[in-house]
Amino acid sequence: MATVLGIELVPASVPVTATVREAAAVLTAHPVSAAAVLDEHQAVVGVFGGDDLLLSLFPRYLDELRHTTFARDDPALLERRAREAGEEAVRDHMARPVMVDVGASATHVAEVFLHCEFDALPVVAEGRFVGMLGRSEFCRAMLEATTPRREPQQPPSVAR
Amino acid sequence: MSVVAIAVFVGALAVIATEWVHRTKAALVGAGLVVIVGVVDLEQATEAVDWGTLGLLIGMMVIVGLTERTGVFTYLALRVAQLSRGRPARLLFLLAGATGVMSAFLDNLTAILLVVPITLLIADVLRISPLPLVLTEVIASNVGGTATLIGDPPNIMIGTHVPELSFLDFIVNLAPVSAVTLGTVTTLLYLVFRRQLVTDPARIAELERLDPAADMRESRYVKRSLAVLVGTIVAFFLHAPLHLEPAVVALGGATIMLLVAGDDVEEALERVEWSTMFFFLGLFVMVGALEQQGVIERVADGLADLTGGSTLAEGLILLWGGAAGSAVVDNIPFTAAMLPVVDELTAGEPFDDALWWSLALGACFGGNATMIAAAANVAATGVLERSGQPISFLRFLAVGLPVTIVSLAIATVYLVLFQL
Repeated sequence: MATVLGIELVPASVPVTATVREAAAVLTAHPVSAAAVLDEHQAVVGVFGGDDLLLSLFPRYLDELRHTTFARDDPALLERRAREAGEEAVRDHMARPVMVDVGASATHVAEVFLHCEFDALPVVAEGRFVGMLGRSEFCRAMLEATTPRREPQQPPSVAR
Repeated sequence: MSVVAIAVFVGALAVIATEWVHRTKAALVGAGLVVIVGVVDLEQATEAVDWGTLGLLIGMMVIVGLTERTGVFTYLALRVAQLSRGRPARLLFLLAGATGVMSAFLDNLTAILLVVPITLLIADVLRISPLPLVLTEVIASNVGGTATLIGDPPNIMIGTHVPELSFLDFIVNLAPVSAVTLGTVTTLLYLVFRRQLVTDPARIAELERLDPAADMRESRYVKRSLAVLVGTIVAFFLHAPLHLEPAVVALGGATIMLLVAGDDVEEALERVEWSTMFFFLGLFVMVGALEQQGVIERVADGLADLTGGSTLAEGLILLWGGAAGSAVVDNIPFTAAMLPVVDELTAGEPFDDALWWSLALGACFGGNATMIAAAANVAATGVLERSGQPISFLRFLAVGLPVTIVSLAIATVYLVLFQL
């Protein structure tokens, strides 16, 4: 399993020819919220995340609306939309990728996470995909690395 | 240097019309070129910018953007659809009327961005195609926006450029003809689309079950935002006796809105479409270069020679030529170029507003002809495309062009009888 900064990367990826259904299966099978979309050379050409999946499952105008408290679900419409979305190409729903290099510093990774919309980033080595790095995994690893280890407790001194 | 100014302007228009690069980039490159080459210097370029237009647009974007958060516009659109009780004619007329009125008092681009997404949802609930509804709304937004100084970018530009024309003048001279045109073209659109608007009673009942006020109840700024919006519109009516420029009214309203309903200034300013502001900026500089080089004067002289100085002929050329120009290159750059031409045509004579109304009607109604003719069309077709229901250039043209010709015919009768 590939690692970066000592964190195990998640092999969540789909080929660019995959359908949304296949990409959704990869997302649900891995503990990250986004999968890399790869071309035939294993280069990352896109990222398919939770938002992309939501937008493919629901009417796309939902992204343009800001007020939907009044809305009621139309099961027939949602079922038809989900069925159609499943067969659509992932390349039509993926987002432009934001990546980090396998040798990136923790500071750089933190900055990229802060300024991107994804909760997982593709990690690449020489342009080829190595795995997905999850935001919460990264934070946990940083906490563990930066939390001072507790020294064994010294018995209180009795000498004055 | 005049050849450079013309080449840069025509080149930018061609790029805008063909959508080769984003229109803002085209306008800024053009503006940069005329300054770098020395057609105008920085001082002249700065003077060429109509800061009033930019101020008016920015002010209204902040006011409407912050009011939008309250859900009040969603309420209006949904309530209007419910009032139709699913009857096709009523649905189309109510949506057209609501969009027309919203366009007149907010501006048509904003109205379209507010109304189209909720219309897609309404069409889904009714299980009908959204295209007839959205096309009707786009056309209604361009016609309704013609009625006021703030309703459509060409009117905003004319209103801020010509201090003699007040908000009330626009309403008195343009609202009646806009209302007649809106009624006529909506009737035509209904005749074209009526078969696509037939709804199932079960779906109508589903639409009526929706609670349009649900989102408004969740917002704590409804009353304050509406008060500022309505207060600003009232102030527009009074701007002439109060001796306040329309831009001052809009920016004043926006400032009050920030104070009473804008908890985050950065977020409020994000509501401003800065790319549109820079588009206007670039256009004004390019047109300033044409003016500086005497090109505008020569065009105006040519037009005066062609018409023999007849106001009637000049007005009709501005109306039909304005519509044709807007259809091809977008009504904003076309109006920017025509403002100084009309200045030249009316120079040295007692103030007569007739040619300004001809230009306003031509540019605004011409905005319906093609998909690229007005910013509202571009915005609506963009929403349709992102929603997976794109409309082709030709399909838009098949509806927009006949509507434009009918609108211009009505405008011609109006201008000949009452203005020219």
